[in-house]
Amino acid sequence: MLAAGFEFHTPADLSEALRLLADKGPEAKVLAGGMSMVPAVNLGLLRPTCVVSLNHVSGLDSIDDSGDELRIGALVRHARIVSDPAIRQHAPALAAAASVIGDVQVRNRGTIGGSVAHADPAADYLPVLVAFGATIVVQGPQGTRELPAREFFLGVMLTQLTADEIVTEVRVPKLPPGAGSGYARLARVEGAFAIANAAAFVDGSRCVIGIGAAVPAPVVTELALGSQPDDAGLERVAEAARAACEDAYDDLSGSAGYRRAMAGVYARRAVSLAIEARG
Amino acid sequence: MSYVGQSMPMMTNARLAAGKGMFVDDVQLPGMTFMAVLRSPYAHARIRGIDVSAAEALRGVLYVATGREIGEQTNPIPETYDTAAVGAKGVSWYALCVDRARFVGEAVAAVVAEDRFTAYEALDLIEVDYEELPAVSDPEQALEPGAPLVEPDWGDNLMASRDIRLGDPDTAFAEADGVVEGVVKSARITGAAIEPRGCVASWDPYKEALTFWDSTQAPHAVRMYLARTLGIADTSIRVIQPHVGGAFGLKLPTFQEEPLCAYLSMKVGRPVKWIETRAENLLVGGHARDTSFRYQAAYKADGELTGIRLDVIADVGAPSALCGWGMSFVTWYCLPCVYKCENSETHLRSVVTNKCPWNAYRGYGKDAASLLMERIMDHIAKATGIDRTEVRFRNFVQPDEFPYPQVSGAMLDSGNYPGALRKVMEMIDYEGFPALQEEARREGRRIGLGIAMELTPEGCSMPGSLMLNGTDSTEVRITPNGNVIVLTGITSPGCGNETGIAQIVADALRCDFSRISVVQGDTETCPWGFGNYSSRSIIIGGSAAQVAGDEIHDKMRQVAANMLEASADDIEVVDEQFVVRGSAGRGGVGFEDVAREVYSNPHGKNMEGIEPMLQSVRQWKMPNVYHQPEKQGRFSAYPSWPYGAAAAIVEVDPESGHVKILRYCLVEDAGTIVNPLLVDANLHGGIAQGIGGAMFEQIAYDESGQPLTATFMDYTLPTAVELPRLEIGHQQTPAPFTPLGTKGVGESGVGGTLGSLCSAIENALPEVDLHLTELPLTPSRIWEAIRNAPVPAGAAA
Repeated sequence: MLAAGFEFHTPADLSEALRLLADKGPEAKVLAGGMSMVPAVNLGLLRPTCVVSLNHVSGLDSIDDSGDELRIGALVRHARIVSDPAIRQHAPALAAAASVIGDVQVRNRGTIGGSVAHADPAADYLPVLVAFGATIVVQGPQGTRELPAREFFLGVMLTQLTADEIVTEVRVPKLPPGAGSGYARLARVEGAFAIANAAAFVDGSRCVIGIGAAVPAPVVTELALGSQPDDAGLERVAEAARAACEDAYDDLSGSAGYRRAMAGVYARRAVSLAIEARG
Repeated sequence: MSYVGQSMPMMTNARLAAGKGMFVDDVQLPGMTFMAVLRSPYAHARIRGIDVSAAEALRGVLYVATGREIGEQTNPIPETYDTAAVGAKGVSWYALCVDRARFVGEAVAAVVAEDRFTAYEALDLIEVDYEELPAVSDPEQALEPGAPLVEPDWGDNLMASRDIRLGDPDTAFAEADGVVEGVVKSARITGAAIEPRGCVASWDPYKEALTFWDSTQAPHAVRMYLARTLGIADTSIRVIQPHVGGAFGLKLPTFQEEPLCAYLSMKVGRPVKWIETRAENLLVGGHARDTSFRYQAAYKADGELTGIRLDVIADVGAPSALCGWGMSFVTWYCLPCVYKCENSETHLRSVVTNKCPWNAYRGYGKDAASLLMERIMDHIAKATGIDRTEVRFRNFVQPDEFPYPQVSGAMLDSGNYPGALRKVMEMIDYEGFPALQEEARREGRRIGLGIAMELTPEGCSMPGSLMLNGTDSTEVRITPNGNVIVLTGITSPGCGNETGIAQIVADALRCDFSRISVVQGDTETCPWGFGNYSSRSIIIGGSAAQVAGDEIHDKMRQVAANMLEASADDIEVVDEQFVVRGSAGRGGVGFEDVAREVYSNPHGKNMEGIEPMLQSVRQWKMPNVYHQPEKQGRFSAYPSWPYGAAAAIVEVDPESGHVKILRYCLVEDAGTIVNPLLVDANLHGGIAQGIGGAMFEQIAYDESGQPLTATFMDYTLPTAVELPRLEIGHQQTPAPFTPLGTKGVGESGVGGTLGSLCSAIENALPEVDLHLTELPLTPSRIWEAIRNAPVPAGAAA
């Protein structure tokens, strides 16, 4: 299905973009990389009357590593997150997650802000953001809101973002010295959406696990773990992950039971990767 | 030197690689308009009425057609495979649904507009008054009494049914040392060609002639079908096949959209283009393979298979004019494939459901037959404790038994099955594998090796068919300048047979390859032929080319002999020079000299008693097709029986069920190989599509007949990352019935993947008695199978 006509705007700054959204109402859609939106339009699933492109808005594509947090502009493309030295150093699981999104073309176009706003359950970033305790910064007519990632995602493609707001930044706390992070996922083929994915953040005995894809919105669970956990310790990780995935869903790729089990397996693998990667 | 047997790059490579191919969407004509198709959102619905007024009123819309008009103005699309001739039920299928839609996506109305966007926009403005009817999407449910009927006039959902008893199965089972039984189900799949379907129809109201560009495999057949559907003379239609971006059987005629587009061009008096979207292709582009087997196999203690009892259910989707449903018969016809088993009892049911119809797809049911037989061989091996390869060696048709009359009526032409299996065992180091497996196990990795044979009969010829009728023709012309044009009835949807045919003709004419050009896919210029299906291009089109080339060469040799005042028997050709035998390098006449002599001195002394010109059109039919059972004692539609032996090594993650294919080896016998490079390329494609159907691909519907796999996000195709480096070995047993000994290869490589991957995954986890019963072998299914598998007695925990 090809799209019927729509208005297309390319504002040069954020305030103009926000004004357009306010003027045009909820039928106006924000376009960043377009890697989710354009297919949805082509399939007739989304029929916007107005599209506001952020691609010409300045100031949304920077990565600032000067503070305790990485401040990643919403328009930063996945490919840059894969290769950016600051992200690789301070949030390696985020770079690892970005490296398996879609394919090269998708990674060259798609943006972290778009992925967060779209909130596909299988998105690779989401478990990392909840495990790290990231903050999603959004701007709207009422000003700026800083929302914890753990509260931001509400369900399948459902977030706290309102129709007149734009995700402008993702803030990811830097990994403390001696901490480690890992990302693992199960997908049927390279580039496909994950069936289950998990990110782990390990700092001392503190082990935080974010789980996505198996559930409508990412979940987070935390447990205390020895510095060199044995099989029983890792099995506790799997158990915690399975318990966090009560809302696992069925589809062609697997039953809810399978997804829950895979949440356990991949949480354990993410934790093992995080332990190996500890500084 | 001989070109046959040489690896030569495809003649179309440079153009296609440069992006300068001419595909149907590249056809640009003045005044072009665009067709879009409104499709049923229901699996089954009565069409009570259609209001097209708003669509017609949209600026840029030229015409809106509905089923009522099509039913009145056109004929039903002719069946590609005569249902009545084989006792199957048929339907009148029109280019648009006349009063009832029977699957999601069936064409309900069509719009022609000045541009694509307007055409699609207009679809939204058509108001269809549907009355939703009960639908059935599961074939087992479709067979139950009281099930919704896909065709109410039929009284049931059984398109065709066969109860076949061969030999004495009761005694075989009574005297067996053991019986294995099981189920195996193959997935509903499609070919997902990189280029979806499409056509351009251009009606000239003054000439009263239609030019029709079509992404098809069979231009001559399309011409015939269009003429019958539209009620016009076939001679007023020219069908042109531009470059085709993959077809795999699924572009055999004819779908609703082809006659629809032609009809609409006649209506608007302008060219009409229709290009299918990817979503439409997955929805209505033809499905295949959805077959389940329930089987029992009787065996002797030494592993000999002595009897088969089989219940086959093929879910062929909604009935149509397409030839896909015939795949369900071919599956039966191939049994018991490369093995001997004279006693069988088969209950075969081709069931209709409210789903997209089957169309032909690479493998054409042969793949499913190989899957079944290889599962049976593995199960007998497991039951007897005899090695999997040993069970196969014990049951093979032996090399000295060809031509081998199979119980089904099939006559296997030639082969060496144990030779191929031995060769693939060497390639994969079968003997060394247990040590490798043990080493991997110590590293915590679980690897397994699987073996499977495949049998892929080719060159199909069906009696009474104007589509699947094994014959073909090739014309060879030499110009006065000494260049060669080859015009063939067979076509190439990207598989390279034009290059193979050029090699055959260059050899027949003893001329340089660079002289040859090949013309295909145009009903105006090419001789009659059935195009590309059943891997027939080289065996049938190539054989016609060989005899046409031979005929011209004989004439040239005679003329050259006259020019050299020698006897034709004493002439040989060395580096394009016709010379008296033994005098190479000392005079003679060149290829161009002879051509010029023929054309310029037809009344001269060298042409006395010789017909002028250098042109020959020759036809070919295979001598080993049996269509007269009353006289020949058998019916056999397939003259060529290529086969292969496959071996796969996989690594299984037992925690997730994820499988990585580490190695895949295939030893293929395609008879004499014309072009090893292109044979290997075809096998790579076949194996890749086979692996797709074995492990990744599945068209799924819910219970109400709504499709669940609308995009590639859900219809999972393997990528280059999932495929291992493919290792190909060859065994060449020349076919006794073609001039060069060639066999088909276009569908080979598919069948062996199914059984070998099941076998390899089961082999990776010997500690559980794993039985994989359903394709595709997705991680979740493998994980479930592992959880449900009994732990064999005595196995270590």
